[in-house]
Amino acid sequence: MLTCKEQVARSSDYLDGQLSFREKLMVRHHLMFCPNCRRFMRQMRLMQATLKAMPEKPEEGVDALAERLAAQRRDDSP
Amino acid sequence: MAADDTQLLARLLAGEQQAFKELVTTYQSAMRAVAYAIVGQRHVEEVVQDAWLSVVRHIAGFEGRSSLKTWLLTITANSAKSRYKHNRREVLMDDLPSPHGTIDDERFSPGDGHWLVAPFAWHQDTPEALLTEGELRDCLEHTLLNLSELQSSVLLLRERQGLELEEICNLLEISLSNVRVLLHRARLKVFATVEHFEETGEC
Repeated sequence: MLTCKEQVARSSDYLDGQLSFREKLMVRHHLMFCPNCRRFMRQMRLMQATLKAMPEKPEEGVDALAERLAAQRRDDSP
Repeated sequence: MAADDTQLLARLLAGEQQAFKELVTTYQSAMRAVAYAIVGQRHVEEVVQDAWLSVVRHIAGFEGRSSLKTWLLTITANSAKSRYKHNRREVLMDDLPSPHGTIDDERFSPGDGHWLVAPFAWHQDTPEALLTEGELRDCLEHTLLNLSELQSSVLLLRERQGLELEEICNLLEISLSNVRVLLHRARLKVFATVEHFEETGEC
C-alpha cells in the first residue's frame, strides 16, 4: 500500500490522468482507507477550480489593438 | 474546424474590428503565458505584439487543421523562439522558495510516511466562496508571482487555459516529465498558500 507521502507525490499525475492503470488503482486504494489524503485530494481539486475561477485582470488597450489589427487585415486582403 | 471558430474566422477575414476584439479578449492572456514561459517577463509584450502581427499576416492561410487557439499559441511560441533563437533560455527547473512554503517532506513522518500534520480542513468548499475573501485572491497572486516563470506559465496554461500536457510540451519544447514536475511543484505551493490562509486568516 502507498504511504501518504507517496500518494501526495502522485497526486498531480493522478489528477492529470498520467498514472498507469496499476498506479491509479494504488492511489484509489490508499484514498479509500485514508481520510487525510481524501481531504488533501478534495482540496487539491478545489485549489484547481479556484485558480480557474480567479478573475482575469482586464486587458488594457484591447480596442486600439483590435482597430489596428482589423485595419491591417483589410489592407492585406485584395 | 469547430463551428464557432469557423464563424469567427469568417469575420476576421472580413476585417471586422469586433471580431478582432473578441480574439484578443479571449486569447491574449494564454498567449502571454506562452510568451512568459519562453522569453520571461521583460519581453512578453513585444513577443505578443509580434505574434498578433503574424496572426493578421497569415490568417488567410489558416486551414483549421488545429483549433484557432492552438494556432494562435503556436504562432506566439514561434514568435518568442525566433526573437531569441540565438540565446534560447535553458529549461530552468529551479525551484524557488514560495511565500507559504509547500507540502514537503517535513509534513510526513520519516518512518512510515504518514501525515505528521494532517491537511487543514478549509472553511469553504467552492471556489466562489473561497474567492469572496478578497485577501485570498491577493495572496494567490503573490504566490503565483513568486513561482519561477516556467512553473507559473505551465500552471496557468493547464489550470486556467485548460491545455493538455502534450500541448504544453509542444509549445514550450519541454519534456512531458518536466511539465509534470513543474506542474506538481507549482500546485503544492499554491495549495500551501490556500491552506495557510484558511488556517490563519492572513496572507
